Amino acid sequence: MPPAAAVELNQLSKSFRVRRTRNGSVAARVRDLFSRETQTVSAVDRLSFSIEPGERVAFIGPNGAGKSTTLKMLAGILRPDGGEVRVLGLVPSRQRRQLAFQIGTVFGQRSQLWYQLPPRDTFELLGRVYEIEPRQHRRRIDTLSSVFALGALVDTPVRQLSLGERMRCELVASLLHSPRMLFLDEPTIGLDVSAKAMIRELLWTESERERVTLLLTSHDTGDMERVCSRAIVINHGRLLWDGPISALRRSYLKAKRVTLWSEAERLDVALPGVRVLSSGSYRTELEIALEITPLGQVVDAALRQTAIRDMAIEDAALDEVIRALYATAETTGTPS
Amino acid sequence: MIGARILKYAAFSRISAAEARRERSELYGRMVFFAVILGVFSSLWRAVAEAGMPVAADPKSLVWYLAATEWILLSAPPIHIDIQEAIRRGDVVYRLGHPASFVVSEFASGLGLLAVRAPFLGLTAFLCAFAFTGWTPPVSALLTVAPFGLAASGLMTALYLWIGLLAFWLQEVSPVFWLWQKLMFVLGGLMLPLELYPAFIQRAAAFTPFPTLLAAPASFVIGNGLVTPGALARQLAVWSGVTALVSFAIFRRAASMLTVNGG
Amino acid sequence: MNTSHDLAFARALLATNMKSAVALRGAFLMQALFMALNNFTFFVFWWALMGRVTTLRGWSLGDIQVLFGVVAAAVGLTVSLAGGVRHLGRFIDDGNLDTLLTQPKSVLVYAIGLRSHPAGFGDLLSGVIFIVVSRQVSWPQVPLVVAAIAASAIVFAACGIVFFSLVFWLGKVESVATQLWDLLITFSLYPEPLFGGTLRFLLFTVLPAGFVGYLPARILHAPSMLNVGILVAGAIAYLCVAVLIFDRGLRRYASGSRFTTFG
Repeated sequence: MPPAAAVELNQLSKSFRVRRTRNGSVAARVRDLFSRETQTVSAVDRLSFSIEPGERVAFIGPNGAGKSTTLKMLAGILRPDGGEVRVLGLVPSRQRRQLAFQIGTVFGQRSQLWYQLPPRDTFELLGRVYEIEPRQHRRRIDTLSSVFALGALVDTPVRQLSLGERMRCELVASLLHSPRMLFLDEPTIGLDVSAKAMIRELLWTESERERVTLLLTSHDTGDMERVCSRAIVINHGRLLWDGPISALRRSYLKAKRVTLWSEAERLDVALPGVRVLSSGSYRTELEIALEITPLGQVVDAALRQTAIRDMAIEDAALDEVIRALYATAETTGTPS
Repeated sequence: MIGARILKYAAFSRISAAEARRERSELYGRMVFFAVILGVFSSLWRAVAEAGMPVAADPKSLVWYLAATEWILLSAPPIHIDIQEAIRRGDVVYRLGHPASFVVSEFASGLGLLAVRAPFLGLTAFLCAFAFTGWTPPVSALLTVAPFGLAASGLMTALYLWIGLLAFWLQEVSPVFWLWQKLMFVLGGLMLPLELYPAFIQRAAAFTPFPTLLAAPASFVIGNGLVTPGALARQLAVWSGVTALVSFAIFRRAASMLTVNGG
Repeated sequence: MNTSHDLAFARALLATNMKSAVALRGAFLMQALFMALNNFTFFVFWWALMGRVTTLRGWSLGDIQVLFGVVAAAVGLTVSLAGGVRHLGRFIDDGNLDTLLTQPKSVLVYAIGLRSHPAGFGDLLSGVIFIVVSRQVSWPQVPLVVAAIAASAIVFAACGIVFFSLVFWLGKVESVATQLWDLLITFSLYPEPLFGGTLRFLLFTVLPAGFVGYLPARILHAPSMLNVGILVAGAIAYLCVAVLIFDRGLRRYASGSRFTTFG
C-alpha cells in the first residue's frame, strides 16, 4: 500500500468578511459588531493539491495571493470554509493538538526564541512543550546544534545574536521534536547572501536526512531553487501552476537572457520581443522572447551596429518566469 | 513669534494619526479616572467629616481642592515616555548639533499636548466636582487657579523632561517616574492638603518643587491663604529656571557622552 | 490530554519566564525596588490621614494596610508570574497567537506565562510588608494569607484575561482594556464602606474590586468560613468565565473573522 500523502487539499476554500472598520472610537467599533457593512473576499478558492512525504515544495504567489491563509489552514490556525484538508492524515482544525506534535513552523518575521535568554533555554522549554523525554531531548539538542554548527551560540543570549545566527537557532528549535513536516514562511528574509546559502543548505540536508516534508513560502527565488524540487504557484487564491521547478522555467517561458560585450559603448536593439535590461559601459543585457524573435536575428541586429567581443546566453531568471505566469493568468483569466 | 510657531509645529507635526489616537484614548481614560477619583474622594471626605476631622476644612472644598490638584496633574502629558522612545530609537543623535533644540522641541510639543488636555480635564474637573458636592467655589478663586494651574502643569511637563533624559543612562525610566510621581503626591499635597501632614513632611516638602506644583495653585480654591499669587509666581519662576538649567545640563552631559562613545 | 505533562510544561514555562525576568539583573532590581518604594510613598497619605481620624467608617489604619497589602501582593503576583495577561491585547492584535497555536499546549497558559514584569516583585514584596506591619495577622494565619492573596490574584488575572480578550471581538481596544484594568486596581485600593449600594453591586460583579481587595482584607481581619467560601467560589467562577471567554475568542480568531491582512 503506498504511503499516505503528507498533505492533501481538496477544493479548499476560505473567505473573509472584511469589515469596513469605522475609524476611531470604541462606540463606532461596537456599532461595527452589529451593523452588516461587510464585504466577502475570497482568499482561497477551491484549492487542490497533494504533497508526498519527503517532498520539498515551494509555495509561491504575490502578496495577497492566499499563501499565508493556506499555510494557516494547514497548520490548524484557521478553519476552512469549504473543501477538505488533511495534513499527515489529520484534520488540522479538528485535531490541532495532535497535529502540533508532528509539525514544525518557522516564521521569518516572528521569533519563538526568548529574547533575553540563550537558545538553549528555549530548546529545553520546547522539550516540555512536546513532551520529549529529557535525556533523549538533550541528546537531540546536541546533535542538531552540531549539525547546524551552533557551537557557543547555544549559550549566548538571543539578543546578542546576528539575524543569521538567530535563524539557524530558529530552525533547530523547529526540528527538536523530529516533526514529519515543516512549514516555513519567509525563512531567509533579511539575511545576507552567505547566511541565506547556509540556511538553504541546512534545510535541504536535514530534510533529506530525516525525511521531513517541507512547505516553504518565499519571495526569494534562490530559496526555491536551492531547497525545493517542486513549485506550487497560486494567485487570487487559485492554483496557477503545479510542477517541478525545472519544468517551470522550461515550459512556461521560452526566453533567454543574453549578455553582449561590445566595442561600442551602448547598443540599441529595437526588435519585437526583445527587452533591454541594461545598456552601458560596453555591456548590454537583453531578454529575448524566442517565440517572437529568434536568437540569431537579435545577434545579427547587434553585429550590424558594432563588433561583438563576447556573448553569454542563459535561461531567463525564475523571477521573470513567475512574473510572466501571473501576467498570463491576469490576461487569460484561467490557470494553465 | 518664534515660540508660538515652535509650539504649533511641534505639537501638530509630531502627532501622527496613530499617536493622536493613542493620545485621545489616553485622555478619555484620564477623564474617566478623574471622575471616579472625585467620586471616591467625595465619599471619603464625607466619611472623614463624620469621624470628626480635627481641622477646619469642610468636605466640599476638599473635593474641589482635589479637583484642582488632579487637574494640574493629569493635564501634564507624560512626555518622559516619548523622550525615552526618541532616545532609544536614536533620533537624538541627529539633533545633537543643537543641544537646545532637542530639549526645547520636546518641551514645546509637550506644551502643545497640554494645551489640548487642560481644557477637557478642566471641564471634567468642574462638572464632576459640582455634581458630587452641589457647590462651586467663588468665581474669583476659580479665575486665580486657572492660570497658575496651567503654569504649574507646564512646569510639571518640563520636570517630566529630565526624567525622560535619564533614558541615556537607564534601561527603563518608568520606575523613576513612578517614585517621582508618588513623592509629588505626598509632598505636593495631591489628595490631602499639606497642613494635614506631620510637620517633618511639611518641612521636607519646602525643599522640593512639589508644593509649588500642586498644593499652592490649588490652595486658591479652598482659600486657606497658603500662598499669595505674587509669591507663587516667584516660586514658579525660580523652579522653572532651575528645571531649565538642570535639563540643559543633563542633555549636554549625555550628548558629550554620546559623541565620545559614538552613540 | 495528559495532566502531568501539562503541569510539567506550566512549571517549565514559569521557570523560563523567571529566568528571563532576572536576565538583566540591574534593571530587574531597580524596577522591583522602586515599585516597592512607590507603594510605600503613596501610602504615606493614608498614614497621615488615619493619624488624624483614627477610624473611618469602622476601618482603622491596620485594616487599610491589610487591604493595600493584599491588593499589592495580588497584583504583583499576577504581573510577575503571569505578566502576559497585561499584554494579551497587543499579543492577539499582532497575530502572535499563531506560533502558540502550532504548538501542542494550552494557548492561554502559554500566552500569559510568556512575560514577567520585574515591578511585580516589588509590588509583591511591599504587599507582604504592609500585611506584616498591620499587625492584624499572626504566624498561624500565614496559610490563610497565602490563600487570600492567591484567590485575589486569580480574580485579578481572570479579569485581565476577560478585558484584554475583548480584542478578539472589538479589535484595537487595548487602551480601553487597560483603563478597565487600572480602574479595577483603583477601586480595590479604597475601603469598601466608602461606596454606595449600586456601586457596591458593580464592584462584586463586573469590576470585582470586592473580590480582589475587600473580601480578602475582611478575611484577614476576621476570618470566617463563610467569607472564605465566597472568596474561593468567586475565584473559581471568575477563572471559569475567563477561560470560557478566551476559548470563544480563540474560536472566533480561528474563523478569521477579525480584520486580517492576508497574503
